[in-house]
Parts: sequence; structure tokens; C-alpha cells
Amino acid sequence: MHEMALMAGVFDIIRQYTTDLSDKNVTRVTLVVGEMTNAVPEALEAAFEVHAKGTPVEGAKLVIKDIPLVARCRSCGWEGKTEKHVFMCPGCSSFGMELISGRELYVESLEVE
Amino acid sequence: MEIKVNTGILSANEQKAVENRKLFKENGVFAINLMGSPGAGKTTVLEKTIDYLSGKVRLAVIEGDIYTSKDARRIEKYGVPVEQINTGGACHLDAKMVSGALSKFDLTGLDLMVIENVGNLVCPVEFDLGEDQKIAVLSITEGDDKPMKYPLLFRESGAVILNKMDILDFTDVDLEGLRKDIHIINPDIKIFEVSARTGQGIDQWAEWLTDRVKDTVK
Ligand SMILES: Nc1nc2c(ncn2[C@@H]2O[C@H](COP(=O)(O)OP(=O)(O)OP(=O)(O)O)[C@@H](O)[C@H]2O)c(=O)[nH]1
Ligand SMILES: [Mg+2]
Ligand SMILES: [Zn+2]
Repeated sequence: MHEMALMAGVFDIIRQYTTDLSDKNVTRVTLVVGEMTNAVPEALEAAFEVHAKGTPVEGAKLVIKDIPLVARCRSCGWEGKTEKHVFMCPGCSSFGMELISGRELYVESLEVE
Repeated sequence: MEIKVNTGILSANEQKAVENRKLFKENGVFAINLMGSPGAGKTTVLEKTIDYLSGKVRLAVIEGDIYTSKDARRIEKYGVPVEQINTGGACHLDAKMVSGALSKFDLTGLDLMVIENVGNLVCPVEFDLGEDQKIAVLSITEGDDKPMKYPLLFRESGAVILNKMDILDFTDVDLEGLRKDIHIINPDIKIFEVSARTGQGIDQWAEWLTDRVKDTVK
């Protein structure tokens, strides 16, 4: 549900990066979204359409790059992809796992013409 | 033409959160962000906590709600400073809204700021408000599968209050399994079993909170 608010943030960023350009027609927006965020891709797409309407972004392609959840064990140092949101170490069965990736939520790039 | 951006979607919120956090720190105020489903008992737990801390900890409350000020009215009766934020449809508080509310308090005379977020297990977690600690309120009537289904809140919280323990016998909750799931998601989290109805367990939670408040130097 908060994807509308997240997308408002994306469009603020798009405006920041395109206001001084002569080519303002945005044709592609690439987002990076970690597995351990609460952002649902389908809801992001729907919010993107709503925000893009009537702007130079209308009709642009939204690319969402998923980043898997990777964690590292604080006890034995095991590192790897983790079962979705279950932070038990496959190496030593302990629970102290640090997140290495999966919390990303950023605009990577824009394509303008 | 491709433009490299690499800017966080929440970066504007994070900047505001940093300002809020600085303001809390400068004034020696410990701040918590109380989150949980609609009806989990956030406001009722808070009422009991205010009672317990009365005369010991100087606190104020920010109430987040989509449209109403019902919860702020409830808190007002306890004689503590309270500000209502209406999000006007948004399912979460953000740092800018909190910043606006903060300007209405005299922070110098406070030890603790409690921010009750909009009832929602998902969205509020993504928005840093500048708090020192996120606190999850989960009522046992919601079912013991909730931590595994909504892990991010439990992953990021310093403590979870398991509320409505007075009606445990009327539920099919596997309490041991629930505690285990929470610890799998976050081994460092404190779990408090509480009934905001009877007051059971409020003392342990409130004492833990008081210790955190005392650690925040004036
Ligand atoms: N039996 C029982 N009922 C409780 C307990 N705590 C709260 N309630 C009831 O649960 C309902 C919701 O409580 P609130 O404190 O308003 O819940 P909330 O999380 O603040 O709800 P929102 O702010 O709307 O998201 C009320 O009818 C409370 O009386 C408890 O420990 N036991
Ligand atoms: Mg409430
Ligand atoms: Zn290990």
C-alpha cells in the first residue's frame, strides 16, 4: 500500500535528474529492490503508471531488479542466500545472521531521449 | 542517453529522520516507534505504560492515524502532552510528518517520546522516523504465523509485546512456537508477554523501557 509513497519518492528523484536536461522524455526507469523490503513489484508497477500519467515519464518502461536475501553467520562465518526470511545458519544452525543484501531500495538509472 | 542515478528511494525520508534523531539526541529524549496491526492493542498498552511510568519518566506521545484523533483523545486523559498526526489516507507515518509534530513539543522537559504508528504490519516499517527503537505489538489473537509472514517488523524491532495474554486459552496459539519463530527472525529481540486488559506483564516491559530511557544521557 505504501508503494504509492515510494513511487512519489522515485518521481522526485526523476525530476531532480531531468529538470536541467533538454531531453526530458524518460523511456526507462530502473529500480533495484531487495527481497527483504516490503515493496511488492506489482504494486510498484501500478503506482508507476499512476504517477507517470501526464508527465514526460508516461509510457516509459519500468525495470525492477530483484536482489536476493544474502546473510552471513556471526558464529561460523557461513555466507549465502538465505531461505526467505528464515535466518538460521545452514552451517552451524545458530540464529545470529547479519544481512549482507536484500534491503536495497533505490533508483539505479534512467534512459532519456 | 542513460543517466546513472543510484539514489535511495527513501533518501528524502532518511534525511528528515536524521534531523529528528539529532533533535531527540540533543534533548536527551529516547524515542520509540510503536507498530502493529490495527487493533493489536498499541494504544491500550500505551495507556497502561503511561500509568506505570507516571512520576518516573516524563513522556509525550505522537499519535498516527489515517483520519481520526480518537487515540489522541484517549491519551489526553492521562495528562501527557500529545500531538495527533492524520496521514490523510497514507498507511504509515513518515519522518516529515513527525518533524512537524515535534515542533509543537517542548523537548527539553522530556525523557521519552512514544510514536504510535498507523495500524499496519507492513508499510510503516520502511519509514525511519528518527526513533531510537522500533517496538512491535502483536496480539496473540492475530495468529502465531504472523512473524513469519511479516518478518521485517520483527527483524527491525528491539522488542515485541505479545498482547492479549488474558485470552490465550480462547486461542489456538502455540506460544512456544511463536517465541521460536520470532527468535529465528531476530535472535536479539526482547519478548514481553503482556495483557493490557489486566495489566499482567506491563511492569517488565515498562522497566525494560525505563532502563533504555535512563541510558539516554541528558
Ligand atoms: N482482551 C484483551 N483486549 C485487549 C487488550 N489490549 C487491547 N484490547 C482491546 O483490543 C481493542 C483494540 O485496542 P487498541 O489499543 O485500540 O488497539 P490499537 O493497536 O491501538 O488499534 P489502532 O490504533 O486502531 O491500530 C480494544 O477493544 C481493546 O480494549 C488485551 O490485553 N486483552
Ligand atoms: Mg491505537
Ligand atoms: Zn553458522
